[in-house]
Amino acid sequence: MKDFTTTRRSTLKLLAAGTGILAAPAIIRPAFAQSKVVNITTYDKFVPQSFIDQFQKDTGIEVRIRLTDDQGKQYNLLTAEGATPSTDIVTVTGHRLSQFLNSNLLSALDTGRLKNWDKLAAAYKGAPQLTIDGTTYGLPLLAGYEGLARNTEYTKETDTWGLMFEDEFKGLTSYIITDFLSIVMTYQGNDGDYVTYGDKPDVAQTATNQARDFLIQHKDKVRKYYDAGSEVQQMFLNEDIYLAQVWSGPAAKLIMDGHPIEISVPKEGTYGFLYSFNVVNNAPNADAAYTFLDAILSSPEIGAAMTRQSGFASAFAGVNDVLDDRERAALSLPDEQAQRIQFFSSVNRDMKNEMIDKAAAEIKAA
Amino acid sequence: MVDTTMQPRTVTSTAPPRYAGWIGRTVNSALYRNTIGLLASNRWVRLAVLAGVPLIWIAALHLGPILQMANISFLANYPPRPGVDSGYTLENYGFFFSDRLYFMPFVRSLIFAAVVTVSTLVIVYPVAYYVAKVVKPKNRMRALLLLLIPFWAGELIRTFSVIMLLANRGAVNVLLRELGFIDRPIPMLYTFFSLSFGVVYLLALYMLLPLYSAIEKIPTPLIHAASDLGAGPFQRFRRVILPLSKDGIVSGCSLVYLTTIGVFAAPLLLGGPNAVIFPEVIATLFHGSNDKWPEGAAFSMLMLAVSLTTVGLFMRIVGGRSVRLM
Repeated sequence: MKDFTTTRRSTLKLLAAGTGILAAPAIIRPAFAQSKVVNITTYDKFVPQSFIDQFQKDTGIEVRIRLTDDQGKQYNLLTAEGATPSTDIVTVTGHRLSQFLNSNLLSALDTGRLKNWDKLAAAYKGAPQLTIDGTTYGLPLLAGYEGLARNTEYTKETDTWGLMFEDEFKGLTSYIITDFLSIVMTYQGNDGDYVTYGDKPDVAQTATNQARDFLIQHKDKVRKYYDAGSEVQQMFLNEDIYLAQVWSGPAAKLIMDGHPIEISVPKEGTYGFLYSFNVVNNAPNADAAYTFLDAILSSPEIGAAMTRQSGFASAFAGVNDVLDDRERAALSLPDEQAQRIQFFSSVNRDMKNEMIDKAAAEIKAA
Repeated sequence: MVDTTMQPRTVTSTAPPRYAGWIGRTVNSALYRNTIGLLASNRWVRLAVLAGVPLIWIAALHLGPILQMANISFLANYPPRPGVDSGYTLENYGFFFSDRLYFMPFVRSLIFAAVVTVSTLVIVYPVAYYVAKVVKPKNRMRALLLLLIPFWAGELIRTFSVIMLLANRGAVNVLLRELGFIDRPIPMLYTFFSLSFGVVYLLALYMLLPLYSAIEKIPTPLIHAASDLGAGPFQRFRRVILPLSKDGIVSGCSLVYLTTIGVFAAPLLLGGPNAVIFPEVIATLFHGSNDKWPEGAAFSMLMLAVSLTTVGLFMRIVGGRSVRLM
């Protein structure tokens, strides 16, 4: 073995480097708690870069975005951080709010600290999805629904989810398996949101199994089970699929960009959801978080930019006036279809999550 | 030449301190002098201190997460919540065995990893042989570097390049359509083919380097001698080259197999509805609607145990005692 030699200086350097590496977590952690920083966990393309740049310039507060693509992931990561979160704002959908509140992860929103609160669209001020016992827990941002998207060059116009199961489109459809299970339950005449199954777990299980078996029977129609909106957009662009169950945002974005895609709400109905920004309990930079929330409400242009990027409808007042005709068309639905949207409820979520997750795993394994 | 080796120095020097202020006080303190003196006088202490940093690094960042995962796999609930029992239990492991639901993706993963490993070996072996034995010695490094260029890009970028290649409007289908071979695109993406193709492409490097290293060491005169004694190409390969490259084969196969067992992003992006493998199931347990971290951790530990056992057996049976990982 070759003998190695050291000098006092090299030994000290090595010791210092080792100590620095081992101490890194302790050094990095307080950096999250600087008052001139706001840490936001949100979806891709929800916060426009132009707004972030302007906000940082105006306030000197650095915006640090962490991306998520799933409410469950966001919930689990926040739960794991416990009483010492490293994020200030999270993006929770109305129907998942109770799950976050039950784990004591969110603080009530002090709307009095938001001088631009009145710039929300009337329908979303004190939205029931974000209000519990008279207390508001989130700033409404964007609203969407689960629709049937189709490539208009290869598919016929339809008013039913049944098109997803026609032999003609074998291997040409895609969906988010947990979301589509709810829709299939509705398609089969059952309660896909489990609101009425609170004291009837047997009925809920039967309805879930019925939808599960139906999807297994039609598994050959599926090209891919996807998770993120960008995946389904890519599959439509590559013509790997002609039909899909989608969140309205990614589909509307394709339509805005001029692709031959149409989104509709079939007669059997669908579910809607409302995204909100929520201040985390024990947020390390709560003041900066409120400054950020107030700033994002300040102008309909910011809401319009969020809509253009994400494809979801804005909850801010005056945004429609800022959008152009094509953008408005991509976001709008005929009244008849809009009435078929039922917002996800926060009632009986535990039962729903348990049964849907199990059924989704069974479909994948089948 | 200046000898930079740290020599023991007397600590009773009466020379005035070179630095004033806190540096001087620190340098002259008994603690500092004794510590440095100990380091300087004892080679084993120096070794222990220098080895300590990487050992702590490995323990904290490599073994630590696995041990924490093992710990979580026995917990009744995780992340801990006030008022919820977080005691230890074996139920999370029982969860796997109680339901056939998770067994199929598990078996599928093992078979998939075996198929990918064999395919990678078959595809990469001739390439490694060509570079190690056919390319002139002065050009070998250049050839090897050329083969490594794709691996300078990240795994995700290479995965997306496979999507661009195999999609319905991807390069392969467009070429076939332009040449008039097909009217409608061949659905290649989101199948076991695309998944295997992608993973073989992603992991070829792990096979190439051990194989190249092993084949390059085979004395060329030995191959010529076999030829002179009348051995044909196949016999030379079977009786000389293959046995002498066994170390590389076992190392490469072990690396590819272990990596394939745990590969996650590629199946998510390239796999289809019938190509769901076990890491995806585990991920679902971690980020699904309900908290199933303990079950996910238990499944991870099971997968780790089975894959290490498989590789251990493989190395024992095929490699004998001389084989070790790179």
